[in-house]
Amino acid sequence: MEISPILQPLAVLLISAVLLPVIDALGKAVKFEKIREIFAVAGFIAVFYTIFNLYQAVMSAENHILQLSISGFGPPFGVSFVVDSLSVFMAFIFCGLGLLVAIFSIRYMEKDSGLGKYYSLLFTMVAGMVGVVFTGDFFNLFIFWETLCISSYVLVGFRIRQWAPIEAGFKYLVMSTLGSLLVLYAMSLLYGLTGTLNFASIAVLMQTSPATPITLYFILGLIVVGFGISAAIVPFHTWLPDAHPAAPSPISAMLSGVVIKAGIYAIIRILTIVLYPSSIDWTIVILVLAVFAALSMTVGNLMALLQNDIKRLLAFSSVAQMGYIVLAVSVGLFGGAIGLYGLSSGMLHILNHAIMKGLLFLCAGAFIHAVGTRNLADLTGIAHRMRVTGVIFTVGVLAISGVPPLNGFISELMILLATVNAGMVLFAGIMLANVLLGFAYYLRMLYITVWQPPKENLSGVKEAPLTMLIPMVILMLLCIIIGIWPAPFLNFAFHAAEATLNIAGYIGMV
Amino acid sequence: MILESWYILTAMILLFIGIYGIVVKRNAIKVVIGLEILTAGVHLNFIALGATAQSADPLAESIVIVSILIGACLATVALMFVIQAYRRYGTINLRKLRKLRW
Repeated sequence: MEISPILQPLAVLLISAVLLPVIDALGKAVKFEKIREIFAVAGFIAVFYTIFNLYQAVMSAENHILQLSISGFGPPFGVSFVVDSLSVFMAFIFCGLGLLVAIFSIRYMEKDSGLGKYYSLLFTMVAGMVGVVFTGDFFNLFIFWETLCISSYVLVGFRIRQWAPIEAGFKYLVMSTLGSLLVLYAMSLLYGLTGTLNFASIAVLMQTSPATPITLYFILGLIVVGFGISAAIVPFHTWLPDAHPAAPSPISAMLSGVVIKAGIYAIIRILTIVLYPSSIDWTIVILVLAVFAALSMTVGNLMALLQNDIKRLLAFSSVAQMGYIVLAVSVGLFGGAIGLYGLSSGMLHILNHAIMKGLLFLCAGAFIHAVGTRNLADLTGIAHRMRVTGVIFTVGVLAISGVPPLNGFISELMILLATVNAGMVLFAGIMLANVLLGFAYYLRMLYITVWQPPKENLSGVKEAPLTMLIPMVILMLLCIIIGIWPAPFLNFAFHAAEATLNIAGYIGMV
Repeated sequence: MILESWYILTAMILLFIGIYGIVVKRNAIKVVIGLEILTAGVHLNFIALGATAQSADPLAESIVIVSILIGACLATVALMFVIQAYRRYGTINLRKLRKLRW
């Protein structure tokens, strides 16, 4: 039986998730426990291969959109998957970081127990994210969203014997569940208005919908707030700086690098496809989103200045970076050439931020693995003891602070230009001020870890093991390559943005 | 039609009770109960919007059934956290947990 290329990545992810505990038990029986790590890495490589196949299938398809309905019903009723360039772009980021995190976890997590469950949850987490970006209706979106969320809660609370994961995990659970229930409520209202849950069908019915603007704004607000909690947009970000430090470092890299991007993906997709044809006044929405973005970057940067915990600092820096992305998305809602440029810059920054923040959290994980503390003061001069990790960390910090030959510079400059293009000069000014403010704490972090002479408590610290260095080196090389030769990545991001704004094509296909 | 709007109104009241429970209550179990009430409100809204006097839409029913399943998983994970917090601190008062800042 031939499985459709859309379902292959999901099938591999979910089958691996189910098989891992079995493999783990078998490995324990024959005293070869490393087999579960080998299986996990092999599983992610297989997923990467299937997504590459899917990419080729999408590129050769008409309009660059692939569509699949399961169970024989037509699009308005059956469970539907729709894959376009945006979906493939996001899926590449999710699985790429998942693969690197799985390699990193081999040594980082070796002292923990229950690793069969750990890798299994990592697979379901990535499966949830891939499902969210492949889905073509709200029904699937909700199921995969909850798969993602429940796996994340358990992974944040994975080291349940310590106090931080208990508290942070519960807080994350309550806030994020509140968000997804608000989204479910918005779904029920959209269902009441149109009688269907399919994105494209709702979009068609929205054009002639008799709904009052107040109802539409209410639905829009519920969706932005609900997914905004997961995307850590500022008034709803408070779970993030607790949950990211409490999770094991590879999971922090996943949460910060890709899970919050799944939230922003859902906002982009629903605003541009489902609600765009309705009679909402988009200039107000753009303004409100831009204000949220300005708040996110300012609060994130100011709070990051005050932190003494390296992972908490990085978590607040994620809030600030999400602000840049939301600003780019709000420019994208203008549509036309301006919106296309804004969305491409946002897409490139989503890719860049996943790479940079994944790299920084993995470096922080390597430091924590070697020293056993997250306190910046205790990590003084650590780069002298761990030279390779130190060099990689320096490149990562310079990239995220926007130093020219590296990738952060390109996407931040593009977002600035897009904002000026759209005539939002005030917001461009706020963003520029924030990029400069960001320098303050990034350089402080570099000053403490790299420029200071090493403290005596670090005398016994050794270099990170090879399996931890490999994913970090790959991410560092990506930082440099995208900085020097951005054309292919920019092209990919441009295709993704083009697919996002190709509403007529999306509706016509389904 | 009149009957339907009563259901929708009830759903909205349940929604507000749930949000009140989550935001105001100190007891972790009561917060979890707040989440459950919120879920019940959303489900009621789905069913009310999908039903007519004669029949019910299978789409609304199926998403509610799936959501009940997901709600069971969520309650399990949430109560797991509450039990661990109780074992560690001897209390489930959220204000007394050391670093939990809402």
